Amino acid sequence: MAATATTGGVTRSARGTLFGARIREAGWGYAFVAVPMAVFGVFFVYPLGYAIYISLYNWGIFGPPAGSKAGFGNYHQVLSDPIFHTAIKNILEYTVGVVPLEMALGLSLALIVNAKIRARTFFRAAFYFPSIASSVAITTIAIYMLSSDGLFNRVVGGHRPWFSTPSTAIWSIVGLNAWTTAGTVMIFYLAALQSIPTDVYEAAAVDGTSGFRTFWKITFPLLRPAHFFVIVLFGTGALKLFDQAFIVSGGSGGPAYATYTPVLYVYRTGLGGNGQFGLAAAAGTIFFVAIFILTLGTRFTVGRGQSL
Amino acid sequence: MSAVASADVPGKPAAWYAQRTIVYLLLAAMSALFFVPFVWTITTSFKTIPDSVNVNLIPKVWTTSAWHVLFTQYDFATYIKNSFFLAAVIVASNIFLGALGGYAFARLRFPGRELLFLLVLGTLMVPDQLRLIPVFVLFVKWGLFGHFEGYILLNLVTAGNLFFMRQYFLTIPKDFEEAAKLDGAGYFKTFWRVMLPLVLPALAALATLQFQGTWNDFFWPLIIFGQGSVHLYTVQLGLAELELTYQTLWPQLMAGSLVAIAPVLVVFLVFQRYFIAGQVSAGVKG
Repeated sequence: MAATATTGGVTRSARGTLFGARIREAGWGYAFVAVPMAVFGVFFVYPLGYAIYISLYNWGIFGPPAGSKAGFGNYHQVLSDPIFHTAIKNILEYTVGVVPLEMALGLSLALIVNAKIRARTFFRAAFYFPSIASSVAITTIAIYMLSSDGLFNRVVGGHRPWFSTPSTAIWSIVGLNAWTTAGTVMIFYLAALQSIPTDVYEAAAVDGTSGFRTFWKITFPLLRPAHFFVIVLFGTGALKLFDQAFIVSGGSGGPAYATYTPVLYVYRTGLGGNGQFGLAAAAGTIFFVAIFILTLGTRFTVGRGQSL
Repeated sequence: MSAVASADVPGKPAAWYAQRTIVYLLLAAMSALFFVPFVWTITTSFKTIPDSVNVNLIPKVWTTSAWHVLFTQYDFATYIKNSFFLAAVIVASNIFLGALGGYAFARLRFPGRELLFLLVLGTLMVPDQLRLIPVFVLFVKWGLFGHFEGYILLNLVTAGNLFFMRQYFLTIPKDFEEAAKLDGAGYFKTFWRVMLPLVLPALAALATLQFQGTWNDFFWPLIIFGQGSVHLYTVQLGLAELELTYQTLWPQLMAGSLVAIAPVLVVFLVFQRYFIAGQVSAGVKG
């Protein structure tokens, strides 16, 4: 700040007021951020440590019974639990399935509404809307559409209840969420498409490059930052799948553990039935560390040189 | 601007028409994918139960009995009131605290500011599934479990909103505050009278996205009110309950889904541009 740079030239009393003004400014600064910092301290920083603390005890609903220190026993138990393994397998299948589908659908939508079509703002809004609508409602609608006598089966034939068949349950959630999230992905791709300079296309047009070639050779590679961004943002989001898995299975993660996800595992271990809080906290910690490592890993491999 | 730039270039009518055809075919397919389920949902909510498993879009007999069930056998009037109440309080507190804190982080100088801001960004990394157990235990200990106060405190101000407002304040030229300072206005007055009116578009974006987030929230209401506090149910919890008990009574479920969707649709139609602007910047903060 200019005033501090010229302090040497001002008188003692002026410096005193300056000093007072700085204290006053700092005081107001602390006052303005006090409530948010208190909220973050109590509901984010403290729980982070508390989760690890709880995870080291055989903690029940009413706290740890005397002398019930579990050490790393809870971690060991979670890591060797076949249900946790199933949850991890499910979430990996789901994430690997849903992210490319979201990208393909989102990019298609972005290309459509970026083309010179009639009523493009209307279509942009219509494609975007499912991604901001309630997940519980959208899932309920999807259960109806994919039920044994639902619209989807009337179109493709057959009577399979897609969400309550073990082999198709998680893939049905993949389809459902690719559909709902595509609108958000579209918004990001649209912003990226519109930031590509026009002269790139003019050069291609002069060269007589076809529209399809232009897309694969020019547009698609130029969208690399957007691809990376979508992979990281929606990939980490996909790993936290909960609402849809809860609704389609009535909170059970069924049929036959087919929709069990790690977050559902934390929820059910802690709040469902036995209230094994120590175990649930250990599962939450393991899962958090795994996501953290995955995110860093993505950033240093595919994301090299990208700013995010 | 257009990605399909050759559409603008004269002298290639055949390719141009081919491209237009592809775009419009895709548009038709996508529109069907996005519109049919919603239209189907609306008409099904007016069907009778036996009629709801038929493939006719238009109900054979129109009935509002499914809607009636929501407000008689279930207390959706209360759920709607609860959802609106929580959304209103949380939107208001996020606007005020997010703007105030964002302004301080953007403009006021105080020791430790960068460190505190780093902490704000750090909270974005802490996922809900890790917080679930400790927050639950704290809530039981402090008597906040099964109370609106607990949910409100948890969502009083989010790191995302604080960050969003800070970034927006950074784009405002400093001249405005310096003029206010010369007039002898204090820090809060400068914030309230001078700065806040300048960031109204950002506040609108924050409000729309926060309303949507709170209205749609399922996870935390399930944790805090889900275990027996039926009078505190939000619309989303009510719908989940309906889903668990009614299973395949489709007209009721579709009517419930529409109640859960409608307010966000209205807000979206009115404030559409703020939604999309907020979405892009919310994503960019990563």
